[in-house]
Amino acid sequence: MFRIILSCLIFAMVLTGCSKGDTPKVSDNVFKQDWSQIEAAAEGTEVRMYMWGGDDNVNRYMDQWVAPRLKEQYGVTLVRTPMNAPEFMQKLMTEKKANSLKGTMDIVWINGENFKNVKANDLLSEPFVQILPNYNSFVDGNSNNIIFDFGTPVDGKEAPWGKVQFVYLYDSAKVKNPPANFTELAQWVKENPGKFTYPDPNDFTGNAFLRHLLYQQVGVETLIKEGYNPSLVSDKSKVMWSYLKDIKPYLWKKGQTYPQSLTQLDQMYSQGEVWINMGYNEARAEALIKQGVFPKTTKSFIMDPGSIGNTHFLAIPYNSPNVAGALVAINFLLSPDAQLAKMDPAGWGDNTVLDINKLPVEYKNKLDNLQRGASVLKAEDLANNLLPEFTPEYVNWIKETWLSEVGKTSN
Amino acid sequence: MKLVKPQTKAYSLILRYLLFLLMFIGYGVFELFSQSFEDAHDQALGSLGNYELLFSNQYFWDSLLTSINITFSSTIISIVLGVVLARLIYFYLHQSKWKYLIWIPMLIPHFVAGHLILLFFSQSGLISRAFYNLRWINHMSQFPGVVNDPWGIGIILTYIWKEVPFVVLMVLPAYYRQNKQYIDVVRTLGGSKWQVFKMVEWPALYPIVIETALILWAFVITAYEIPYLLGVTYPKMLSVLAYQWFYQGDWSSRPIAMALFSVLTVFILMITFGCFRLTQSGRFRSMRGR
Repeated sequence: MFRIILSCLIFAMVLTGCSKGDTPKVSDNVFKQDWSQIEAAAEGTEVRMYMWGGDDNVNRYMDQWVAPRLKEQYGVTLVRTPMNAPEFMQKLMTEKKANSLKGTMDIVWINGENFKNVKANDLLSEPFVQILPNYNSFVDGNSNNIIFDFGTPVDGKEAPWGKVQFVYLYDSAKVKNPPANFTELAQWVKENPGKFTYPDPNDFTGNAFLRHLLYQQVGVETLIKEGYNPSLVSDKSKVMWSYLKDIKPYLWKKGQTYPQSLTQLDQMYSQGEVWINMGYNEARAEALIKQGVFPKTTKSFIMDPGSIGNTHFLAIPYNSPNVAGALVAINFLLSPDAQLAKMDPAGWGDNTVLDINKLPVEYKNKLDNLQRGASVLKAEDLANNLLPEFTPEYVNWIKETWLSEVGKTSN
Repeated sequence: MKLVKPQTKAYSLILRYLLFLLMFIGYGVFELFSQSFEDAHDQALGSLGNYELLFSNQYFWDSLLTSINITFSSTIISIVLGVVLARLIYFYLHQSKWKYLIWIPMLIPHFVAGHLILLFFSQSGLISRAFYNLRWINHMSQFPGVVNDPWGIGIILTYIWKEVPFVVLMVLPAYYRQNKQYIDVVRTLGGSKWQVFKMVEWPALYPIVIETALILWAFVITAYEIPYLLGVTYPKMLSVLAYQWFYQGDWSSRPIAMALFSVLTVFILMITFGCFRLTQSGRFRSMRGR
């Protein structure tokens, strides 16, 4: 009996607090080392990367393109753990509460409100982007897309990885003229009842759709300049809610419910249950068409006042057990080769964060010749209509206001 | 002479179990309650503000009502169907090997079951498609929406499909345990089938039925995956709402999510206690043979 109690107690100790007595983190000085020293320290180590795993094309890029090359060129083993950002952020928060100095994550893939959140809670490593050779050579460190993440200053605590823009998708066999603005969209929805809907604003994509609408109703300039100002917006956004209430009876299931996630909307679109789809990646339809999920006639379009774009980033948690490995891996992901492979339309198709003018000629040519596919809009159309993201506080504001104004009310 | 008295041995066995319970479940519940009193911003303890916020939140009440409706419907229907099926098996399929087929749904995870319901019953699902091809409906959207519907029919259907075999599994042994001679007694005295059920079967089944219902009830009211998959945007079932609050971007709604779970925990404990009292007296009665 005594033995059992004793072993229980030991087990409890192991569970709760042994890590408190650990030696202080060894990673402190890594940030001050030379790059060659960092590379040497990284060799033969394992880097654990936590990232959203909901897109097969992203996963395949990481597992089949990045991981073998990282192993071959730097001797670094990449272990990818698929997990939603809020969940691994929670894990990190729990580690911080338990005072754990040796964590489990080396790289996390985040942006927007998640970044704001971890930055505010001091869960990230010290600034590191200036250490990365590829960042210094190829990234435009003055661009707003790089130094701000949804309006939050990046302060070198996360390295840009890719850029995406919000576009709408339609099946050109069923929709002849896609709407060019929200007025035309409302008209189209009323003429084709049940064929349009948007995801629940708790979903990333559903929220982006409403932010796009908010831009149109309140004005881009105002939202960027004013920062978070709910009283100003709540007044001007009345039109937005009445717009949504107006189209609600003509939505999928008469607006009584909304898809829980983009995955569900994709599924409905692929089965022809809805005819218009959307997504925060201008090129994502291409791979899905090739895989036979989306109809071959899928094309994309944007609506006034433009197309919201954002940058997504890679960061290192404060308690990463392998900082050197993380730095080497992030630097590799920022190399022109890795960025070009990421743009491959048959794979992920994610846009590069590198500055085209800073690239060597051969990469410049490759980039110019890259065909992103028939479902992707022309680069200049995308660039000319790019809208920045505004402060992430609106994400919550939209969720809550939408629920009381639109989601909760019955027709 | 034995070194350890049997009574001491029994206590030590219980103690082991209690230790395990305290360490894993007790600690979790303790954290849950303490976090439900924390302030969202400075994490200071000792305020009831989260509970005030929770009880003044209309979404919470709507969710609670929906959850209770869906939970009671699926529990009661599962129990009734399960008892009827167990009875059929006991009286008519006693010898048949086919009776094992009924347990197939138990092998399938809930999440998969939810997807199956979606696959068959959604408006672009297999049944809708079949109706359309048979020209019974002109548009696939004419098929009644039984998944993602405001009444939770899809959720209830999934739970019935999954839980009826469970009920049979729990109830069948009680049927086999009962004294068959009582049935003959009632029969010879001219009792109907219903009277056999009421006087012989039900007293034997009663405690186990209550117990099973309790398990189902507690399971369904806190379940996440099926309501997430088949539920509606508003009102969401309690766990979906709590999850949403818990993971809301800036973490400010976390303490309210904890308060919600605390309320739910107390609620379940109360119902469990009530059921415990009921079955205890029931067992006592059936022991005396009344």
